[in-house]
Amino acid sequence: MNKTYDVVIVGAGVIGTSCAYHLVKKGFQVALVEKKDLARETSSHCDAVALIPDKMPGIDAAMGYASIQRFKELEKELNYDFEFHQNGSLHLCETDQEMEIATKYANDLIAEGYAIDILNPEELLEKEPFLATDLKGGLFSHECCGVNPYKLCFAFVDAVQGKGLDVYTHTTVTDIRRDADNNVVGVETDNGILKTNKVVNCCGVWAPEIGKMVGIDIPIKPRKGVILISGAGFPICKQKIHEFGYMVSKFDDIQCERDPEVEKYNVAFTIEPSAGNNVLIGSSRNFDGYDVDAEIDIIRVIAKRAVRFFPILKNINCIRSYAGVRPFIEEHLPLITHVKEIPGYYIAAGHEGDGISMAPLTGRLISEMIAGEEPCMDVTPFSFSRYK
Amino acid sequence: MKQCEMLVIGGGPAGLSAAIEAAEAGVKVVIVDANEKAGGQLFKQIHKFFGSSMHRAGIRGMNIGQELLERCEKLGVDIWLNSLVIGMYKDNVVAIDVKKNLTEHKLEKIQAKKIVIATGASENAVRFPGWTLPGVMGAGAAQTMANFHRVLPGKKVLMIGSGNVGLIVSYQLMQAGAEIVGIVEAQPKINGYAVHASKLTREGIPIYTGYTIVEASGDERVNKAVIAKVNPDWSTEPGTEITLDVDTITIGAGLKPLIGMSYMGNCHLMNDRFLGGWAPCHNYSMETTTKDVYVAGDASGVEEANTAIEEGKVCGIAIAQALGYLEEDKAEQMKKEAWGRLAGLREGAHGAERTAAKERQLLEYKKVMEG
Repeated sequence: MNKTYDVVIVGAGVIGTSCAYHLVKKGFQVALVEKKDLARETSSHCDAVALIPDKMPGIDAAMGYASIQRFKELEKELNYDFEFHQNGSLHLCETDQEMEIATKYANDLIAEGYAIDILNPEELLEKEPFLATDLKGGLFSHECCGVNPYKLCFAFVDAVQGKGLDVYTHTTVTDIRRDADNNVVGVETDNGILKTNKVVNCCGVWAPEIGKMVGIDIPIKPRKGVILISGAGFPICKQKIHEFGYMVSKFDDIQCERDPEVEKYNVAFTIEPSAGNNVLIGSSRNFDGYDVDAEIDIIRVIAKRAVRFFPILKNINCIRSYAGVRPFIEEHLPLITHVKEIPGYYIAAGHEGDGISMAPLTGRLISEMIAGEEPCMDVTPFSFSRYK
Repeated sequence: MKQCEMLVIGGGPAGLSAAIEAAEAGVKVVIVDANEKAGGQLFKQIHKFFGSSMHRAGIRGMNIGQELLERCEKLGVDIWLNSLVIGMYKDNVVAIDVKKNLTEHKLEKIQAKKIVIATGASENAVRFPGWTLPGVMGAGAAQTMANFHRVLPGKKVLMIGSGNVGLIVSYQLMQAGAEIVGIVEAQPKINGYAVHASKLTREGIPIYTGYTIVEASGDERVNKAVIAKVNPDWSTEPGTEITLDVDTITIGAGLKPLIGMSYMGNCHLMNDRFLGGWAPCHNYSMETTTKDVYVAGDASGVEEANTAIEEGKVCGIAIAQALGYLEEDKAEQMKKEAWGRLAGLREGAHGAERTAAKERQLLEYKKVMEG
């Protein structure tokens, strides 16, 4: 395998595969190196939505919106069906306080031009008849969409493999080679050396390991999320639904009173329908190293939360559960960046729960940076130099 | 959260035997079983065991089940019925959905020092157009209905598969009053013991060797089955179709180990067609690659009730030893004897393949543990 590439990407999750796709589209010869297999970890142990109302107004929401637009293009560009669907999303408010925050929040987003409806309790029940009847209202976002996350990874690879992309699965990167001036010159693996001047670290929660190889400290921590699957039945919900408390748990600067058990695992209710009428129910956010056990205690809290919003779920079985680790970063902003101190070393990681939705844009930005083009949006907030 | 020394998942021949062996040495045992009665498949085995002259020959499966249950009761083994294990978690915690009555159920958690997976096997499906119609079912399911619940699954039955399960169940359904329209076997010759087959052919039941099912049809439930000759490449020969009036199709196409628990327990699995597919590898004590998690019976590779009993005994002895209830010398001697009986049960033509497969499991365990 001792070959030379323009770019070597480490990590074949949704970020790595998107970078690979976008780089090959720009004419680069690319190697994608993966310790396990395509979409083997976080990208297949998650849910699958691209949302706007869970993003802060400003750059976050702009990225969410840009991602959705990019998904629409990709659906036409890629031959592989990754189950793109755009049927909007609902955010539910449990208390008057939440509704107040949500209304203000929605108005900020509406002012930025996003299509969001503020719903009263009756309108909410019209949209979703099985919802609990005591909710205070909610937000409906027209643009939100969903994809099948692992199929998206396959779609990216399928489009360019053998046409500029070589994929090395079950290959572990052991070191990043640099010359005397710290320039990247190659990637060492347990299966040989790949010569290259550019390496992109797309290892998500494992990005710090690949950072250590060049002596940098990437402050990403694994944050576990558990998801439950219901038995197939009848359509319980029509769209992706989240409790607005999701926002509260995601951004620590809004304080609400919450159930201590819910607080312990940072549980916020989400539900999404599937083609087979199984629903995916989420989710928790807790720090537990790289452990991906779907613990029974977490499952119970999520189920309890789900029944609170959809009482009908009390009578429906949970048939499966799984957990994945999300690449958490303190600032809630990913790293999509060149590392100046190590010329040729790039990072695209730290998207936490937004990796699927931000993957298309991330891949595009990395490809633009490597091609030396002006990035399609301001990348300063994603720069590694923010830690200096 | 409840605590126990040894938790057995599944109260069939393997699980009951593991429990008895350990409880006799003094281990406090809890058995969790999803059904309303423990005993696994034994209580539907109304026929006399034979084939192996080792032991139990001439005894009916249901009587073995009764004997094992009585011994458990005498030894104070705590059997939880209507209790479905829904997951195995960190630190040997097992979550159990306990059915209280028709509508109420409660989630319980037990932390065990040692866990035995004795979940048995599930029936393989054969897929053909119409296979989801009411009236199409596993041969084992039909046997449970007829022999355990005393409900005849249908009046005109077509059996797919001529292994011992297919033959015995056909005979029992016939005894229970059903007409066996035929037995279909894709292979060129009958798969099970000749003694079972001849009991059926004496009754005039046709066994179609070299045939397979093409499709089933019907509105409310199956009422027709089409079978046809199989070519060497497994396609069917046009023009050889036979249409049969049936109201039930039973599928006896073999079993595969139930590995949900082993998978969840991160036990290293290996695929072996002589054991029914994927199963956890284990050591001489039946412990899997996950510490404290043991496996016995069909869950460790599909065989039969007697081997399940002996594997269960090995588990029980090993666990009693590990928990300090049995001295090493005595335990090793007992395990050796059980393995000797297992070797005896695995004699003969089919046995040689199983013996080799079980050896591969032991080897794989060693390989995995030695890294």
